[in-house]
Amino acid sequence: MAAPSSFERATLPHMEAAYNLAFWLMRNRADAEDVVQDAYIRAFRAHASLKGADIRPWLLAIVRNVAYRALARRGRNSNVVSFGEAFPGRGGEGAGELNVAADTPSAETLLIGAGDRTLVMAALAQLPAAFREIVVLREMEGLAYREIADVTGIPIGTVMSRLSRARADLKIILTRLIEKDESNAL
Amino acid sequence: MHCEHARDLLGAYVDGELTHNEQHAVTEHVATCAECRATVEDLQRMSQQLRTTGREAMPAGLALRVRAALAREAAAMEALPAQGVAAMRWRQTAVFKQVAALAAACVVSSLITWSALTWTDATAHVEQDVVSAHIRSLLQDSPIQVASSDSHTVKPWFAGRIDFAPDVRDFAAQGFPLVGGRIDYVGDRRVGAVVYKRNLHLVNVFMWPAAGGAEMGVQRQVTKGYNVLHWNKAGVTYWAVSDLNLEELRQLQGMM
Repeated sequence: MAAPSSFERATLPHMEAAYNLAFWLMRNRADAEDVVQDAYIRAFRAHASLKGADIRPWLLAIVRNVAYRALARRGRNSNVVSFGEAFPGRGGEGAGELNVAADTPSAETLLIGAGDRTLVMAALAQLPAAFREIVVLREMEGLAYREIADVTGIPIGTVMSRLSRARADLKIILTRLIEKDESNAL
Repeated sequence: MHCEHARDLLGAYVDGELTHNEQHAVTEHVATCAECRATVEDLQRMSQQLRTTGREAMPAGLALRVRAALAREAAAMEALPAQGVAAMRWRQTAVFKQVAALAAACVVSSLITWSALTWTDATAHVEQDVVSAHIRSLLQDSPIQVASSDSHTVKPWFAGRIDFAPDVRDFAAQGFPLVGGRIDYVGDRRVGAVVYKRNLHLVNVFMWPAAGGAEMGVQRQVTKGYNVLHWNKAGVTYWAVSDLNLEELRQLQGMM
């Protein structure tokens, strides 16, 4: 293979982040690979228009767009309610809010669950995509709120409130999963 | 800082997104509030868990696969402008051809129009002349200078008066008796006029050597109520003018 082009030198270091975001949006490895490839091709076609801007948020924004399009297509093609897939366990943002106060798990319970990666990942997978992506960008990729706003195209205040709720919901889902896990073990 | 207010800021506090003053105030509150401290610890633990184990490992072949796709895309993008240029060239050639064709069409059209106009002009001019000559011949005492029903009298009479030997024949048997001949002036030249009679109608047939010498079929015009037939035959231009009806005039023309 030829020596990396300037585009490749700029974008290949962000491929792990791109793949991770794609995976958490698609929740499927094969689809995530396709999304990454498609996103890199689109980025390559458009990168001449990117002058001096930070390439990582720009690239992740393309990944996100490609992934959402793929999700919409998947929803149409399967003729299944894509809503349930994109927003599992709830009727969308603002609807059917989980009762945080009644369900707050103890620090001890979380400590038990925290050791189990699969449980945390299962909990994250259950979050609606609009919340999941913000958790991924913040917690895994370490993006600042400003950068998350750039990638997702939503106001920084919304980023903050969604992240706050995503964390609270994640805690609740995790608690339920742990309780279920324990009852299964019994 | 009140606990409720602090609780809303705990996430941003853990993320380091608060202003310096807010950060300081929350730190002070957390130091004194066990509940908020527990929440902060939960948040930090969750963050750490997600940060350390949450990432999905990138498949080994993905980078190579994407680079191969990029190489194909780069090749396609290089080919594309070339195609664009080729298309442009082709388009330019096509446009050039169209412009050239249009220009040629204009030139041809102009020539045709010019020749048609000049021809029509000359022809119309001659037509006016022959009709005038016909009318003039009727106004005079006699339409003829040499009166004879004998073509052998009329034909030699023309010799020496005009520069060609007109075709003079008697069609009395067909109902077009030869009256005679005269010299007239049509289209800026001396021409021969042979006069025939059909019942009470006079027919003037003007004739002179055709300019191009080309054969030409009969053209029919109606001028001032007169039927005018015009044709070229054997290097001679004929103009037949009469108030005779077209069918009978054509009959005479057919015999000449």
